[in-house]
Amino acid sequence: MDVMANIVYPVAGLIGLYAFVSLASLVWEGIDRKLVARMQRRVGPPLLQPLYDFFKLASKETIIPNTANFMFRAAPILALATAIALLAYTPMGFAPLLASKGDVIVFIYLLTLIGFFKILGGISSGSPYAKIGAAREAAIMVSREPAMMLALFAILWRLGKLRVNKPFSMEVFYQYNIWEIGTPLSLVGAVILLYVFVIWLASEIEVGYFNIPDAEEEIAEGLLAEYSGRYLALLKLTKALKTYIAASLVVAIFFPWGIADYFNLTGLPANVVNLLFHTLKVFILLFAVQSVFRATTGRLKITQAVGFLWKNVFLASLIGALLIAMEVIM
Amino acid sequence: MRLSPLIPTVLRNMFKKPATNLFPATEPVPVPDNFRGQLKYNVDKCVGCRMCVTVCPAGVFVFLPEIRKVALWTARCVYCSQCVDVCPTAALQMSDEFLLASYNNYDDKFIPLKPEKVEEIKKKLEEQKKAKAAPAAKKAAEKKEAGKEAKK
Repeated sequence: MDVMANIVYPVAGLIGLYAFVSLASLVWEGIDRKLVARMQRRVGPPLLQPLYDFFKLASKETIIPNTANFMFRAAPILALATAIALLAYTPMGFAPLLASKGDVIVFIYLLTLIGFFKILGGISSGSPYAKIGAAREAAIMVSREPAMMLALFAILWRLGKLRVNKPFSMEVFYQYNIWEIGTPLSLVGAVILLYVFVIWLASEIEVGYFNIPDAEEEIAEGLLAEYSGRYLALLKLTKALKTYIAASLVVAIFFPWGIADYFNLTGLPANVVNLLFHTLKVFILLFAVQSVFRATTGRLKITQAVGFLWKNVFLASLIGALLIAMEVIM
Repeated sequence: MRLSPLIPTVLRNMFKKPATNLFPATEPVPVPDNFRGQLKYNVDKCVGCRMCVTVCPAGVFVFLPEIRKVALWTARCVYCSQCVDVCPTAALQMSDEFLLASYNNYDDKFIPLKPEKVEEIKKKLEEQKKAKAAPAAKKAAEKKEAGKEAKK
């Protein structure tokens, strides 16, 4: 029985989530492309275009450069594996499959590790374009994470004060949320942190201002310059999964409400309904952060982006975190 | 961070119809009146004055002296329409056709005057020459006869 509860159910759940999320995130990419096309008064590709692209890439010849070393081939697989493992720690309308005390560290670690594997693959290709992309990705990665970490830890610490049984777990968001603290200061702090998380999400999925490491027009797709065929398909899928996961985090922190309770559902049906509702919320959030942002802004220079993330976003994160913490401290 | 001034435009655009022409599903965008499409050659009107050969910047035309016509390969054409302007008999005309993609550079549609047709014209010309020559020979023969008879 213990084996069932501890191993079999989580594994089945992870496989199910993986199947669902990879489909949902690729479909979202199709919706995104369609929406941006409509914003520019074009018709756009069919909704399932990213799926066709995936299968086409997977069926194409994979070219390995002479200058590439072993990590060039391992990195896409490791990146996708990390993304799949991350699904077990992602709140998706219900508590994560492997929720435990302090799993927020694992979440942040795995989320950053995906970017790290991308960098590793890029610098292993031997192409100077990919190396420029890798340097940019590294610069933007170290600039964007502190703001998110500060905000996330402040929120989790504040919610931990409300007597939760698993502090610093992603599960906490489904017991209490940031709007329930209720003091005026914390509400202002929450709005500021929402801004921080929205910018973080945009820089995590590299759209609009932050489309810097993969800049097609400048450095020939940057990190992905040398990738082709199956490995490119894996990296594209990883990117789609990461988009969904990062947006899931923001949705879980700021909009964690489920609808299963209104229908008096429990158990598996409740989870499925909440997952679908969560997906809808993720799509709405991504519409604002990805589609509109992508359609209306160009990219910054890497120096501007780093400056923006430190001087603006990190500062906002600091202020928001202090406001959230204020009544506990004083 | 200032919000982008494009946002209202973009959101309004989302509810407008796409301003595109879905070509293979619909008709292509109509061409204007003086559109320069594929070059059309009317062999019968051609008098073989060689003006088009002189004026063509892309070397589309080759003069065929035996039949006094031009052979042309429009895959090379740059659509400058100079041959049309210069042709005294209007044997060359620009058409409306522009969907000219082809798998083969030497497709029939790029060669209006084909070698078989050239042979045909050549034969016809020879026949005509013969027909012209035949009465003349008869006359000559008759003259000879007449001369012979006169001698007698």
